[in-house]
Amino acid sequence: MELNDESRTTFFIRAVGVSARLSAVLKEAKNISLEAMNAKALVARAGESVRTFKPITDYMVELSYDTIKLVEEINTEALNISKSSLTAMRGSYAVSQYKKAKENSKEALYGDSFDKPMFNAQKDLDEFQKNLSRHTQRLHELLQEIETRMLAANVVTSTSRLEAATVSSVYQANFEAIVGKFEVAAKNIRATVMECRKILKLRRY
Amino acid sequence: MKKVKIYEGLHHEWIMFGRDVEKPEKIIDTNQYLIKTSREGILLDPGGIELFSSMLAAIVHFMPVDQITHLFASHQDPDIISSLGLWDKTISHATLHAPWLWEGFLRHYGCDSITYAAIPDEGSIFKMDGIELHFIPAHYMHSSGNFSVYDPVAKILFSGDIGAGLNKVDDPMFVEDFYAHIPSIKKFHQRWMPSERAKFAWIERVRRLDIDMLCPQHGSIYKGENVTRFLDWLESIEVGIGLRID
Repeated sequence: MELNDESRTTFFIRAVGVSARLSAVLKEAKNISLEAMNAKALVARAGESVRTFKPITDYMVELSYDTIKLVEEINTEALNISKSSLTAMRGSYAVSQYKKAKENSKEALYGDSFDKPMFNAQKDLDEFQKNLSRHTQRLHELLQEIETRMLAANVVTSTSRLEAATVSSVYQANFEAIVGKFEVAAKNIRATVMECRKILKLRRY
Repeated sequence: MKKVKIYEGLHHEWIMFGRDVEKPEKIIDTNQYLIKTSREGILLDPGGIELFSSMLAAIVHFMPVDQITHLFASHQDPDIISSLGLWDKTISHATLHAPWLWEGFLRHYGCDSITYAAIPDEGSIFKMDGIELHFIPAHYMHSSGNFSVYDPVAKILFSGDIGAGLNKVDDPMFVEDFYAHIPSIKKFHQRWMPSERAKFAWIERVRRLDIDMLCPQHGSIYKGENVTRFLDWLESIEVGIGLRID
């Protein structure tokens, strides 16, 4: 399905909107990274009694690292979408101008002399639209990937809470605080990503 | 869009396009000119993006569009050349002749394939399929990098914004009564032309030319005696900085 000019313009702005919102995700991912480092330090200090917490902190580090990487990829895709939709919009304008000229030059002696550029403009437009579609699909996948990871983070949070309850009372409050912050950050990321997907209202075409 | 052949010689023709009734109401009416030989053509101030389809449809009544090998832009304004991006797609083999000063700016309109031939400040002579055109300096008339085009065989001077006014689509193609025409051009010149010195320099330069027709980019064409009348009048009025426009 082709996007008309208006929705393509809107889409171009929406992609920029997604990119802007991603700074919030980046901030939260950095928070997770910081909390993961705190947790690692705590695990090292607490020693054997909290060894079950180690895989959890490792996962938190991995999650924050992956999220930051995904956000960077999403930013690139959002930029690609902005560029592609703008090019497609220009291409669409060129095609419409040629069609209008064709309509107005029916009687002209050399009316067919711009058939080739007209054909090329249509071909370019089809290509731009394919690119746009590909980038949009990729953006959709990346956003979904972050969302899936944040769902997994929920599970990790529950496990972490159980583990935090079993550690020595000296460290319990610290671990619970770290888990709490991790939970909030994951929840915020998920909310932002859901908002991004809502903004895009992605179409498959 | 009206199409009027204003000159027909042995080797080339001048065609003027303008008075486009289909153009959006709030954009100024413009005159575009095509100089064509039997094999090649040059478009002078090809016009704004809004006019592109009308221009393309009009041109193909006279020649195949791929035979347009050159474009000329007197200066950088959008009504002159904002259609460049679409011409770039249509006649990618063409060369754009425009002031060197505006190259980096004009390319914003889209100039991926067309070759940019920068005209030096002192002007130059351009040859196309046996005809010769002179790019005459018209700096600060009104743009800081600006050229007129003179055809010594047709004795036509394309003057860009000089001689223009904020005209309407139903204005006559040629100035009939110069003195009656003055009100439609006076404020335009006083406000748009920034420098008395530049004005005198341009007038001095073009007075040396043998001109039958002075063709502006807006409004009516000056023919015969009206060319001298216009130059005398332009010399007599004060233009530009420091002038109070009521």
